[in-house]
Amino acid sequence: MNGYVQGDPMLCIGCRTCMIGCVVAHEGRHIFEVDPDGYDFHPKLKVIKTFNVSVPVQCKHCENPACMAACKSDAIHMKDGAVQIDRDKCIGCKSCAEACPFGAVQMVTLKNEANIDGTPKTVANKCDLCQGLPKGPACLRVCPTAALRFVQEEDLNATVQAKRLGTLKLTVAAEAQQKQTPVCK
Amino acid sequence: MPSEFGLFVSTDVSKCSGCKACEMACFQSHNVKRNNVGKTVGTISVPVTPKLYVTVIETASMPVQCKHCENSPCKAVCKQNAIRKVGAQVVVDENKCIGCKDCLVACPFGAITLLPFYACGKQVTQADSGDGKVAASKCDLCFEDPAGPACIRVCPNEALHLTDVNEERKQKNIAAAEALAVINAGSPERRLL
Amino acid sequence: MGVHEIEDAALLFVFGYNGADSHPIVARRIVRAKQKGAKIICCDPRRIETARIADMHLQLKGGTNLLLVNAIANVILEEGLCDYDFIQKNTHGFDEFVETVKKYTPESVEEQVQVSAEDIRKAARMYATSGRSMILYGMGVCQFGQAVDVVKGLANLAIMTGSFGRPSVGIGPVRGQNNVQGACDMGALPNVYPGYQSVTDDKVREKFEKAWGVKLSPTPGITLTTVPHHVLHEEDPKKIHAYYIMGEDPAQSDPDLAEVRESLEKCDFVVLQDIYMNKTGQYADVILPATGWCEHDAVYSCCDRGFQKVRKLIEPSGDVKTDWDIIQSISAAMGYPMNYKNTIQIWNEVIELCPGFYGATDEKIEKNVCVQWPCRSKEEHDTGTVFLHRDGKFAHPDGKAKFAATDWRPPQELENEEYPLSFSTVREVGHYSVRTMSGNCRTLRNLEDEPGWIQMNPEDCQELDLKHGELVKVLSKRGYCITRCLPTDRVKKGATYMTYQWWIGACNELTIGNLDPISKTPEYKYCACRVEKIKDQVWAEKHIREEYEQIRSNMGIKVKGAVA
Repeated sequence: MNGYVQGDPMLCIGCRTCMIGCVVAHEGRHIFEVDPDGYDFHPKLKVIKTFNVSVPVQCKHCENPACMAACKSDAIHMKDGAVQIDRDKCIGCKSCAEACPFGAVQMVTLKNEANIDGTPKTVANKCDLCQGLPKGPACLRVCPTAALRFVQEEDLNATVQAKRLGTLKLTVAAEAQQKQTPVCK
Repeated sequence: MPSEFGLFVSTDVSKCSGCKACEMACFQSHNVKRNNVGKTVGTISVPVTPKLYVTVIETASMPVQCKHCENSPCKAVCKQNAIRKVGAQVVVDENKCIGCKDCLVACPFGAITLLPFYACGKQVTQADSGDGKVAASKCDLCFEDPAGPACIRVCPNEALHLTDVNEERKQKNIAAAEALAVINAGSPERRLL
Repeated sequence: MGVHEIEDAALLFVFGYNGADSHPIVARRIVRAKQKGAKIICCDPRRIETARIADMHLQLKGGTNLLLVNAIANVILEEGLCDYDFIQKNTHGFDEFVETVKKYTPESVEEQVQVSAEDIRKAARMYATSGRSMILYGMGVCQFGQAVDVVKGLANLAIMTGSFGRPSVGIGPVRGQNNVQGACDMGALPNVYPGYQSVTDDKVREKFEKAWGVKLSPTPGITLTTVPHHVLHEEDPKKIHAYYIMGEDPAQSDPDLAEVRESLEKCDFVVLQDIYMNKTGQYADVILPATGWCEHDAVYSCCDRGFQKVRKLIEPSGDVKTDWDIIQSISAAMGYPMNYKNTIQIWNEVIELCPGFYGATDEKIEKNVCVQWPCRSKEEHDTGTVFLHRDGKFAHPDGKAKFAATDWRPPQELENEEYPLSFSTVREVGHYSVRTMSGNCRTLRNLEDEPGWIQMNPEDCQELDLKHGELVKVLSKRGYCITRCLPTDRVKKGATYMTYQWWIGACNELTIGNLDPISKTPEYKYCACRVEKIKDQVWAEKHIREEYEQIRSNMGIKVKGAVA
């Protein structure tokens, strides 16, 4: 199963450091060296705030991605356990943004790339798990309350196994309660 | 407020019956002024040329229509500058089109085809030979009609809707965020700092 | 209490304090406390982050602080939840306190406070019976015309439940800015010398006169918030002729900016000593550029009285000097030479003259990282005081805590027909305070930029036909500003909020200079306003861009895209 980053609303304080961390990690050092208006600020995750919840929403790197199925331009592929968008192939048709049930794909207009007719290029943007960047996902590293974690296959398997054991034990205990017989440990 | 990105019409495939009312409404709304096409059959004086194309297989059907792409391949390849943006929508100027077919080939969705077009009840013709002209035909989101897309309004099954990806994204994000509260509550152990 | 103790409280009573937006690191402690099983009661008119994770969110109407606080005291008394032993041994004034508070039954206040009597009782019981309750309060208490009374009211709650003098209990005033505590510790107040020693105390004054070799005034000075009055409405000798402003931006953060501007313009001589250009700089006759964090050595005081060292890491660039160097130079030019070579010499003098800081030597702070005063002995074993009032010993001369209850009074300017909405200033995380420093951080600017937002309830937005992001005009009796509408259900109907960091969306154009009679802090958290729709949005967008350029041009900013 693909790994993905997940936020916890009980730990999130809505500070949006993750969004800045994402941009800084992807832009690299030059973001601090160029004209402040000369780089793109397009975080690949977005902190959402409702009455009861503050938490970042980002791509879950689905196993059967709706975005990948919707893309007619061959721009979305599974690569090393992550769903990746190839910007060079993206025609900005918005099919992936439409398809994603979480709204994890955002259309963004790039400052430093243009279409062949000179108009600004607009492409689909989403979490890429910081693949290719040396330290892995930046968002969870910069979060002051460690509200983001990297959920991997092992974690999911361990969770499921623990829940199964818990379910079994509960059922055994409930049945024993019914029969009023002691349970051998 | 105008949308930042092109709006487009989407189909709920489970509701489409393939009746083609959308094609008729599209044709009618684009020809009511220039060809006096009214709302009943008796007023149709020119061949029906819609801008969306109902496509059918054994188990499903839907009108295929332009998605008003941001970096639209059709606009990118048109050497005649016959394809332009009106606001965020992609629109073909039939009069400039020379029928070179590049846009037809470039569109990954098959949303463009070449069709004859009419004015004052007669086919528009070539300047020299008098033969009929054809032009790229694709959904223009009824950009000149204040009432908006005719196809959406006429569909008897309400299978079509106008998609604004940014607006939809906001609603989806809220639902996803609220879901995370439930998901995290279900974790056996919340990670301690 | 120490900040680190927050996460070990059994119950956090967070009143008028927004940790997530003001101090993410303190918010982290609150989040950890919750993870460790603490209960949280959050009293705030908005659904702030702490309210979201709280066990109880008392979403009181702004301006009703003392009603709620007294009602909670009322419940604790009525239900017999006091620590009578503690009260008997370590306090006085209890009977007068009971007399004042007994009329504040939850039923009598619930309608005004907009919190049900049942919830007030539940919260009071939770607070009184947790065994380890800690109060955290902030600007939501202090920035009202009735502020000191509410602080005392909160203190009453802690005293009556014996919540003092042991770990993870008590009351924590979470100060606004980094090192505002330090400014107070060093005596940047008109009535005390460093170490909170009174200027009216003859013995104290003699000590300083001897140490410094000068005659000193025996009368207190005036507070920052009364300066406009002393420039505009007083005659000599009370009139203020010169204003030396260091590390503060009154033209941005003081209330009633129209009056502030007038006083700066009419003041004969204005000096600004700061690290970056800001709004006040436009009115200065002289600007003295100083070094910032990382460019100098210093000692900062945390809100929990902890001294911490700050070290120089890089060489400053440009024509700048450190603050103490500037002061030393000015002092010499004025005829009083100072001979400090470094900050350690200055620090040594401070602790020599302040009994409460006497033991906080540079080596001790270096070794222990943080030393919370009082630290009275230079011996190694005295590493400072984590929590005060151990064994129930208090700072009054008789060593006892004193109950002090007062009656509630409403904010000065309430909603009215012309200005039907309430208005309050708040913070948001990212940009900090007036943005003198953080405005230069490009990624923070990417997240939020001029003209900022006004937070409004969606119903109010609907009534005024306002959409998210639309530019609106916000007016009060004192002035107006233009900002963007932010509909959010995190604020109550009828209430509006703005952050105070924007030059265009300058919310202090609206605020009222109603001062608490003792602290002289202005009533930023309550005044009346009106929001108007701007029909021509194209004009409005152009207007704010032009305003922004005008301000930057006044400030002499030349680089395109840079902020200050």
